[in-house]
Amino acid sequence: MPRTRPRAGTGSTLRSGDELAIRRIRWTLAIFAVLVVASTVKLVQIQVVDAADLAAVGERQRARTLELPASRGRIYDRDGDVLATSIQAATIYADPRAYRGTRTPEGREVPPAGEAAVVADRLAPLLDADPAALRERLEQDRHFVYLARQVDHELGEEIAALELPGIGVLTEPERVYPAGTLAGQVVGFTDIDAQGLQGLEARYDHVLAGEPGTLLLERAPGGLDIASGIRELEPPVVGTDVVLTLDRDIQHVAELAADDALERYEARGASIVVTEVGTGDVLAMASAPGFDPNHRGDEDPADRRNRAVTDVFEPGSTQKALTVAAALEEGVVEPTTTMEVEDTIRIGGSTFSDVSRHETETWSLHQIMERSSNVGTIQIAQELGEERLESYLREFGYGQPTDLGFPGESGGLLMPHTEWWGTSLPTIAIGHGVAVSLVQLANSYGTLANDGVAVSPRLVRGTVGEDGRLSPVPAPRSHRVVSSETAATVRDMLEDAVSGEFGTGGLARVEGFQVAGKTGTARKPLEDGRGYSDQYVATFVGMAPAHDPRVVVAVMIDEPYPFYGGLVAAPVFAEVMEAALLALRVPPEGSGTDLSTAVRLAAEHAELLAEEAVAEADAAAEAVETGQVDGAEAGGADDPP
Amino acid sequence: MSAITAPLRRSRPTAEPSQSPQLRVVEEPVVRHTLAYAVVMVLVLAAAVFGAVSLNALAAGASVEARTLEAHVAVAERDYARLVAEVAALEDPARVRAAAMELGMVAPGPVRHLTLERNLPSDGAVPSSRTPDATTDPLKPLLSLER
Repeated sequence: MPRTRPRAGTGSTLRSGDELAIRRIRWTLAIFAVLVVASTVKLVQIQVVDAADLAAVGERQRARTLELPASRGRIYDRDGDVLATSIQAATIYADPRAYRGTRTPEGREVPPAGEAAVVADRLAPLLDADPAALRERLEQDRHFVYLARQVDHELGEEIAALELPGIGVLTEPERVYPAGTLAGQVVGFTDIDAQGLQGLEARYDHVLAGEPGTLLLERAPGGLDIASGIRELEPPVVGTDVVLTLDRDIQHVAELAADDALERYEARGASIVVTEVGTGDVLAMASAPGFDPNHRGDEDPADRRNRAVTDVFEPGSTQKALTVAAALEEGVVEPTTTMEVEDTIRIGGSTFSDVSRHETETWSLHQIMERSSNVGTIQIAQELGEERLESYLREFGYGQPTDLGFPGESGGLLMPHTEWWGTSLPTIAIGHGVAVSLVQLANSYGTLANDGVAVSPRLVRGTVGEDGRLSPVPAPRSHRVVSSETAATVRDMLEDAVSGEFGTGGLARVEGFQVAGKTGTARKPLEDGRGYSDQYVATFVGMAPAHDPRVVVAVMIDEPYPFYGGLVAAPVFAEVMEAALLALRVPPEGSGTDLSTAVRLAAEHAELLAEEAVAEADAAAEAVETGQVDGAEAGGADDPP
Repeated sequence: MSAITAPLRRSRPTAEPSQSPQLRVVEEPVVRHTLAYAVVMVLVLAAAVFGAVSLNALAAGASVEARTLEAHVAVAERDYARLVAEVAALEDPARVRAAAMELGMVAPGPVRHLTLERNLPSDGAVPSSRTPDATTDPLKPLLSLER
């Protein structure tokens, strides 16, 4: 029943109107109270309960984090010349979605931004790629494809300027080796993502790599960076530079000599190691055939290995110096000892003989070493015994890897004497039945050169931080193997092996210096280890100056022809040793040439060169006159020598 | 429905003739200029907005300048790295040797050494600045601990 509106002026009407107003106010207050409570609840939920999650969502929507790649450290030689460094290169990528129609989340059709065929045709000549192959990559069902990685930065800028749809250009570091093949097997290389794969790049990857940084930016909904927005930079930690012990000039000479030996003796391979006496620093470590890490994809994978540390061989007669040193140190023989030496000796059912037939002679230790007598050395080893021979060889570094820690380094092969059989002692005493790497052999002679103290070889001199200063690595391990007297005595014997009348290492002489060294010629074992093949390994290892050695050079030539170490390895040794002594500015021994004689010799040498040049020019002119060659070829002969 | 009670009437206090009349001096009421107040507030707000926008613009300008400088640094670093690689390639002994031979140079003859009968007057007088030192090359790291 509808209410009748109360009339104004009466008391009952007043009460009725107030009551209604109060009721409305209460309802309104109630509604406001509900709203306030709801708002408060929501506020608490947003500001307190979900605050962290919502903040993260917001940050994700507007913040963009860029990873800043760390610059990989450089690799220097001992004088600070760069062997490996990184440059900025351009990487070209594509977003294939730009070449196919898509739909927005609302279902609207979005036409392609460009045609894959057109883009491929424009990029192909720039990237030196097949247009069809490029088009195939552009039409892949992916969001991101690489088109070319680590191309010249200028080319990247050129492509970016084209503003092709769906094509982008990134900047990323590229590892380069400016010296090409120089120390290629030692330095090694990285993969395309700058992770060390081989050589010292792999060995010291954790030092060289550095740590990437980050850059946090705020961006607007359109993707543009907000200039005044958040900008948090965590700079990348630059990789540490590594300084090697290699000397670039000596390394170059060693590589030239190895390549030359490979060609001259039609050898399968050649390795050369040069070490500094006392420090264990490896000044050069060359392997042939060479290898350019800049073009590793084009090279034979077998050429990538650092043969001086990965390949082992029987040291042959170079081993005799160690056998004699052990016998001298143990007092089995004295420097003045002489013994009757036949040209053959029969042990364990096998006959061992010297290279040259001879009557039974009374030889001193010097003569045994000079003539590289197998029989004499075996007689000394028999006095020494198996246990002591093995012990000394291990002290010299046989049978275990060096401290180089080079990836793939071999420790060689030396069986425990308890597993030797009847012919093991005489065999091992003259360098057979045992295998070493060239760096092990060089290090064993380094011990003799260093007055009997073995110093572990090292390839790294130190690291260079951001201050540009060298932080040297800890000193290499060292321990005494034989006394200084024993080492000096053996050096004298090795000097006879080079300078003596019957010495086998005469071709290892270096003018101005006394050289101590030993030749080695050993047949290569068959692949299955049962017996020997018809191929040889020629070696020479020695030191100079003989009485105060500064440098040790070890040469190994694999399957040369001719195969004698004294014929093929010794000349290579002389060439490298001469260059090393010059590079280290080691003063020559003995009396030099007086000034007038030197001037006369220099004049004679210049005159000889001039005569050769004139003869060549005459021959070329005569050839032109007789029509054997055209004038253009003959023109070269007229060039100054 | 509840009944509404009428407010209680208070009895008016009766004046006591013995007390003096409550008279006092009053000041002229302060006239509040509403318009001036509004103008001031608008000015303050405008100044605040202007300041905020100006600061924002300055920050944006500085940010752009910083990015420009960073781009210049990146270009300089890229050029430096490229130059270091080029110098190393040019110093490669194999390249130097090939270039020398191309120019007509030949490998040296046998190395000889001289012995002087007496020291030259200039022995030991060569200033250190003229002696070759690898560490003086700005492209090379300082490899000496003494420096």
